[in-house]
Amino acid sequence: MFETIFEIISLIGFIVFIILIAFFYEWIDRKFYARIQNRYGPLYTGPSGILQPIADFIKLLLKEDIIPEASEKRIFSLIPIIYVLLPILALLIIPINGKGIISFEGDLIFLMFLSAMITLSVFLAGWSSACNFSRIGGVRAALQMLSYEIPFGLSLIGPAIVANSLCITKISEWQIANSTAFIFLQPIGFAVIMISLLAELELIPFDVPEAETEIVAGWTTEYGGGRYALIRLGKDLELVMASMLISSLYLGGIGQIFFIPPIVIAIIKSIIVLLVMSLIRALFARYRIDQVISGMWKYLFPLMILQIIIVQFIG
Amino acid sequence: MRYGTTIKVPFGPQHPALKEPECFLFEVEGDFVVNVKPRIGYVHRGIEKAFENNTYMHDLYLAERICGICSHAHTVAFTQTVEGLVSLEIPQRAQYIRLIMAELERLHSHSLWVGIAAHEAGFDTMFMYLWRDREMIMDLMEEISGNRVLHAINTIGGVRRDINDEQANKIRKYLDKFEENIKNYIKVLETENTFLKRTVGVGILKPSDAIALCAVGPTLRASGIKNDVRKDDPYLLYDEIPFEVITHDGCDVFARTIVRCEEMLESIKIIRYALDHMPKGELKVKAPRTFPPNESIGRVEAPRGELIHYTKSNGTSKPERYKVRSPTLGNLASVCKTLIGAHIADIPMILAGIDPCFSCMDRILIKKRS
Amino acid sequence: MSLFKEAIKQIPKKPVTIKYPFEPGIIPPGLRGLPIWDMNKCILCVLCQNACPVSAIKMIPKGPDAGIVYDLSRCIFCAECADACPKKAITITDKFELATTSKSELIFHYKKSQ
Repeated sequence: MFETIFEIISLIGFIVFIILIAFFYEWIDRKFYARIQNRYGPLYTGPSGILQPIADFIKLLLKEDIIPEASEKRIFSLIPIIYVLLPILALLIIPINGKGIISFEGDLIFLMFLSAMITLSVFLAGWSSACNFSRIGGVRAALQMLSYEIPFGLSLIGPAIVANSLCITKISEWQIANSTAFIFLQPIGFAVIMISLLAELELIPFDVPEAETEIVAGWTTEYGGGRYALIRLGKDLELVMASMLISSLYLGGIGQIFFIPPIVIAIIKSIIVLLVMSLIRALFARYRIDQVISGMWKYLFPLMILQIIIVQFIG
Repeated sequence: MRYGTTIKVPFGPQHPALKEPECFLFEVEGDFVVNVKPRIGYVHRGIEKAFENNTYMHDLYLAERICGICSHAHTVAFTQTVEGLVSLEIPQRAQYIRLIMAELERLHSHSLWVGIAAHEAGFDTMFMYLWRDREMIMDLMEEISGNRVLHAINTIGGVRRDINDEQANKIRKYLDKFEENIKNYIKVLETENTFLKRTVGVGILKPSDAIALCAVGPTLRASGIKNDVRKDDPYLLYDEIPFEVITHDGCDVFARTIVRCEEMLESIKIIRYALDHMPKGELKVKAPRTFPPNESIGRVEAPRGELIHYTKSNGTSKPERYKVRSPTLGNLASVCKTLIGAHIADIPMILAGIDPCFSCMDRILIKKRS
Repeated sequence: MSLFKEAIKQIPKKPVTIKYPFEPGIIPPGLRGLPIWDMNKCILCVLCQNACPVSAIKMIPKGPDAGIVYDLSRCIFCAECADACPKKAITITDKFELATTSKSELIFHYKKSQ
């Protein structure tokens, strides 16, 4: 009885912690992106503006909530909740504290399913909004998924083959046991997972589904108020998910080093990934949707197949 | 690829790609534009009528407010037109000061545009760097004239403020820094793969089309046609100053970017020459308050292209008719032509490619009779 | 990737943004700000009223209210009035933070009798 209650409380505590980390990562991302551009970034809310993402979230929650008359109302209002829940579910699998909270053999496949679901919910959000810009954004998101999903899946399988397990926790533990990192063993795989996760997160150069200057805000055009706050939170959570996934799969796994607890290692490693992502975001212009798709299939897919062949027959 | 059905996608009057209210209704088939309908006149302000109700001296400040970016070009055109009514010759030093301000304005307008083009392509860091450097030019103009945007430095018969040696040295110092940065950015823009992918071959305007559709300014020069009012019909002292008309054979958005970047370097040279060769002397001559019946035209190369002012006087202190043709109107027909067949994703790039300034253009409203 | 070198160079630099309302802005010499009338020099000659393109200046020639009524809400800061004044009674200051919450504060009445 007490154990169940304790588990529930610790689960809730974990989710709150994850959400706070998400806001913190958004702040780091904004601040670093601003410094590259010779700006300050968030500055006045809390020390160095560290509370700015939370302030934005609360402000958006207080705004008027509009559901367009022509929209599919049920799907339209359900999507933001799903969009937040999916990355949280994915973060329960990823071994942030050394071991995933729900960890089972084959959770890597489940993670791929979750990431596909995220894009599907984006598509549904665009489609249910009954707005041309949202529709174009949703269709673009779906199209983009067709291009990055397969290289992404293959880049997850590379470490799995070597570690001989489909469990993220075990892959992470394998790296610690052998004191190595897959970034050295499979550098192509690392590059591919970075690029495909940038596409998944809709960041420049792959922010085609929400290209601001082309289709207003893409699939989020019709969202406002609390729903938009949830979507922004979902994006931040996705950022945490992506950086944690890369650090557990490719950056030597997450586990205790000397006396430093694994959670600190996880945060340090994922912040490095995050900084690399914001640097990439600052350095490139946006590709066009057809260029994204042809580029992914022409370069990423063959490269990843090559990597798998190397892993299977040589490494 | 034909899909059979078309969707109508409105761009504007409120759209993040257009910084001003103007509506372009696109008929889209799949991902390609098949038809464009521009609808202009959202910011019609009745400026030309207002010109007729004010004296020439007061109209000067109205002319300045036609456009926020090229406010100096409009007053140069205005003073040129009004001085043309009585063939008034203005002192050499005043002409040099007007010219320096005009070229500084070209620097700020072009760096603004290149930043916008980078922003439309999703290249926000470039946008921030260019606008940061543009701030130096804005500071210079503020120091010379006393205001960042509405300089109010021209007056009928001369200029109102002088450039002293200290200011001249400051201009030289800032320009050195600006030139170095711009050269750096040209190198970046020419080699950045993602930017090239979005601009090369996008929005092709053939030279024959450019002439047939009356394109002006950098848009025309990017199609490989040497046309510049500063060379073809020199005003101020442009005939005394050596400079080159920049052209590019690309005919696409990338060519327009490079033409503007290199024009900035050319403007820097012009300003340096003008600062070195500026004679001492009077700043203005006395201008009459009333003008005899006459007609006059002023042609100026504004940053966006050829700008034409026309006035007709009737012996009083107020004009009988005043007409402005801003460069955006000249470029609008050509941009509609280049948009057909473009990807939806390229629409903002192509539209921004002409450096549109819709509020300068919207002075007339054509209403169809029912 | 061609911007990489430039981007890395910016990170340790101090941002160029001026935290304006929290620290003073940079005011260049000769900024055209609020015009101020010196009524000891003013001779009520109407020239500034005529020069003003937006009729922000109104002169009252006689009576106890005689003087200049200057409407800041109409002013475009062109400084034509200062140029037109034969007695140099108008000085252009560099004050530019002129926003108020009530319209009556925008109207300045300079009286001659003082």
